[in-house]
Amino acid sequence: MIKTETPKDMLRDIVGNEMLALGQKDERVVVVNADLMKTSRNQTFVKTYPNRSFNVGIAEAFMVSYAAGLAHEGFIPYVFSMAPFLSMRACEQCRTDVAYGNLDVRLIGTYAGVSGGISGATHWGIEDVGIMRSIPGMTVIEPSDARQASGLLTATLSYKGPVYMRISVEPAARLYQKNESFEIGKAMVLKEGEDGAYICSGAVVWHAVEAAVRIKERYGYDVRVVDMHTIKPIDREAVIAAAGTGAVVAAQDHNVEGGLGNAVAEIIAEEGISCRFDNAGISDCFEAMAHPGFLFHRFGYDTEGLEKRMLARLMAPASAE
Amino acid sequence: MHKNTVWELEKAALEIRKNLLELCSREVIHIGGDLSVADIMTVLWQYQIHYDPKNCRDENRDRFVLSKGHASAVVSFNQAAAGCFDKKDVFREYARDNGRFSMHSCNLVNPYIEVSTGSLGHGFPVACGIAQALKMKENRQSRVYVVMGDGEQSEGSIWEAALNSVHFKLGNLVAIIDANGLEADGRIEDLTALGDLAEKYRCFGWRVRELDGHDMAALVREFDALPGADSEIPTVFVCHTIKGKGVPFMENQSQWHTGKITKKQKETAFCELNAAFRRKWGPV
Repeated sequence: MIKTETPKDMLRDIVGNEMLALGQKDERVVVVNADLMKTSRNQTFVKTYPNRSFNVGIAEAFMVSYAAGLAHEGFIPYVFSMAPFLSMRACEQCRTDVAYGNLDVRLIGTYAGVSGGISGATHWGIEDVGIMRSIPGMTVIEPSDARQASGLLTATLSYKGPVYMRISVEPAARLYQKNESFEIGKAMVLKEGEDGAYICSGAVVWHAVEAAVRIKERYGYDVRVVDMHTIKPIDREAVIAAAGTGAVVAAQDHNVEGGLGNAVAEIIAEEGISCRFDNAGISDCFEAMAHPGFLFHRFGYDTEGLEKRMLARLMAPASAE
Repeated sequence: MHKNTVWELEKAALEIRKNLLELCSREVIHIGGDLSVADIMTVLWQYQIHYDPKNCRDENRDRFVLSKGHASAVVSFNQAAAGCFDKKDVFREYARDNGRFSMHSCNLVNPYIEVSTGSLGHGFPVACGIAQALKMKENRQSRVYVVMGDGEQSEGSIWEAALNSVHFKLGNLVAIIDANGLEADGRIEDLTALGDLAEKYRCFGWRVRELDGHDMAALVREFDALPGADSEIPTVFVCHTIKGKGVPFMENQSQWHTGKITKKQKETAFCELNAAFRRKWGPV
């Protein structure tokens, strides 16, 4: 059984710092900010490579178009902002200037989900996955731990086409060993199990692991935990295998509409798999400012909520199916 | 300036206008804005732009971005005149399924298009990124030409780009505004008045030239006088033009933003264009 520690890694620090290594590896790498360099933690790159760093001021739409221009000429721009601003203020720029041109632009959105907490809904990225995965050719990634964030970010260097990576600003638990390898589009199974399966991404993965451990301890069920770090292109085989357990709880720190749960449900339906299913996320509503822990609990995708959801599926009488 | 240059360019622009009207008799095109920018586009593609049609990825080429993406037909005919493809291809493929030419420019099928455009307020900021990239590559000879409309100036992203072009010292960037005073719903003055556009760009720190966008000699003179691509201040030409220019029944009529004409209208338009050319230059 895997054992997790208390969350403490800050993924935005990891990703921001990792930019320096990417810059050293490939001189085509440039960083573009719109006045959120400090909060995106990429100052080290900016200080080391001032000639490959651009800060356009508070102008997200311009930032993304400008990055597209840089990519047209062969550079690999890493564009940093908060998830809501990248996916909504600059939505058409991501779609028309970046994706339509199939350009190697990497869009890094911090403040994924409700990790912006007390900043409120203006700073929550709770629609970004739905928006980004509906854009043709856009790859959508959400890392769950520090090593995975670093590994997937590095993988974007040689990846073709546009990429959107959303990152929580809440502390993340350590889930992966040192020499683990990470591949875009290849889900990872953190805990094996045949009685049911969680399919999650990002900050919710740790809660799913904790919930699975509790369920094993208290009820004896073996519940699988699938870390679907790439929401698009989704690892179809991993979803099919998980659905084969007969009970799937999908969860993401995102609105229930358009997020990971929808992507998982589509596959289950397309494959004609009969399976108990639940989709956990923000219940299609706005909520006042609150801490992420409160909100995760409120919408039932913290450890306790995920445990309840899974138990409800595992213990549902056959007639309820 | 060679003494024949203006005559040759005006003759070329006459040919471009006839091509546009011929196409407009077969398909719906953005004829009004095509005609207003026809002289500008002719000078760009048949005089100014450094571009080898046989090597459209040449690192030292000038880059061209059509921010007013709906003027795609006038670009296609000019690129044909510049040798990128045959003019007949444009007539044959325009608005055909999977054709290289249509209502807007698409680089998925047409390698002579640097950036796919259509939605307004996008081409200009993308052109800024291209200009920045050329500076980073230490390309001191290529310029980036971006053609915008005046209706497009209402987009917020235009002003984000106007601000940043100066900040990033994009002296290799040349913006041309086809200020025909009309947009799809009517007069810009009545919709969102732009005020003194040239003065606005001047306040932003641009090198501004204001001219008649149908005065071929003035256009050539201003293009000749551009500072080097290695300069540090971007240039904008605010070109006052007439939507539908050259075809009296279309001039200054916002309903000719898009449209199709009858054979009879085409013939009338050809007569008007020929007569105007003869009045200025004598028999062709």
